[in-house]
Amino acid sequence: MRRTSVVVADNGPIFRSGVRHLLERESDFAVSEAESFTDLARAVDTEEPDIALVDLDLPPTGGVAAVARLAPKCQTQMIVWSFDASRDTVIAAIAAGAKGYLQKRISPTGLIRSLRGVVRGEAPLPRDLATLMIAAVQGLEQRDRVRERAVVLSAREREVLALVSRGARNRQIAQSLSISEFTVKRHMQNILHKLDLPSRRAAALFYRSAFEPDTDPVERIA
Amino acid sequence: MSAPVADTALPLVAVISAVPLLSEAVEEALQGMAEVRSFPAGGGDTDGFLRFLRPDAVVVDSADEARAAVRFVRDAGATLVHVSLPDRRLRLLRTGGWVEYTNGSASPERLRSALAAGLLRRRSHA
Repeated sequence: MRRTSVVVADNGPIFRSGVRHLLERESDFAVSEAESFTDLARAVDTEEPDIALVDLDLPPTGGVAAVARLAPKCQTQMIVWSFDASRDTVIAAIAAGAKGYLQKRISPTGLIRSLRGVVRGEAPLPRDLATLMIAAVQGLEQRDRVRERAVVLSAREREVLALVSRGARNRQIAQSLSISEFTVKRHMQNILHKLDLPSRRAAALFYRSAFEPDTDPVERIA
Repeated sequence: MSAPVADTALPLVAVISAVPLLSEAVEEALQGMAEVRSFPAGGGDTDGFLRFLRPDAVVVDSADEARAAVRFVRDAGATLVHVSLPDRRLRLLRTGGWVEYTNGSASPERLRSALAAGLLRRRSHA
């Protein structure tokens, strides 16, 4: 039987030894270790492992950067893992070329099952992280739809809306853009009409959901 | 209450951890020198649980569990090791307080020597 080769790339020697101990008990895995990007790059180059378990904090620049550099150049399935994972971290890892993301709090049997799944072509992703990913993808799609609606605005109207989204009053907007307060009011009426929005507050939320990635008010105005 | 581990000749190491893979590292470090049993952290009443189990050494991965284990460890003369995997830190409870090892010295070898020394000392006093 051909054994699945796994390189454990992690700066924590105790954690690494635990993973090695677990995988070496299984007859279908062969394990090697790396404690930095340099070690991992060497292992990928010389051993061509089937799977690399890459710590999110792998020195010197982190696991996502390591995956971004190595994944395009090799056949090794890169799995990033960490003790805690945010939505952005998971997305960054996947976008960098990782085939999956795991939490280090995974059970031994869960890890074995995940790695065997990778061999079968599955992408390991714990249920809670999968939920985060789905929400992120849906958020991006909604943002795209909102941006499409914004195409009807003129450049000046978009400038006005940007200032409104930051809480500026009409007088402040007028001063900032060197136009009259009356013109600002007319721009606001046009913006609300073109976007079919009920209020100035809704317009501000619209702008933030379309152009400021960390806000998520799309569902309130769609 | 009698101990539930009377059958075994090996010393018992209890690993109370939120990261199940830590017990794999402890098993690897001890290499058959002790029986290693893994328990999930956060179960509550750690002191009572340890008094029931009566392990020869305790390994934990959180400061809360470490605090909760100190009284039993002091009373029973057991060994207590706190491994913080995210920080790559290892602490060993000594008579005078915690002795801390960081970075390179928080190694499997350090874990082994800390546990083995405690287990041997306890056995020689038995």
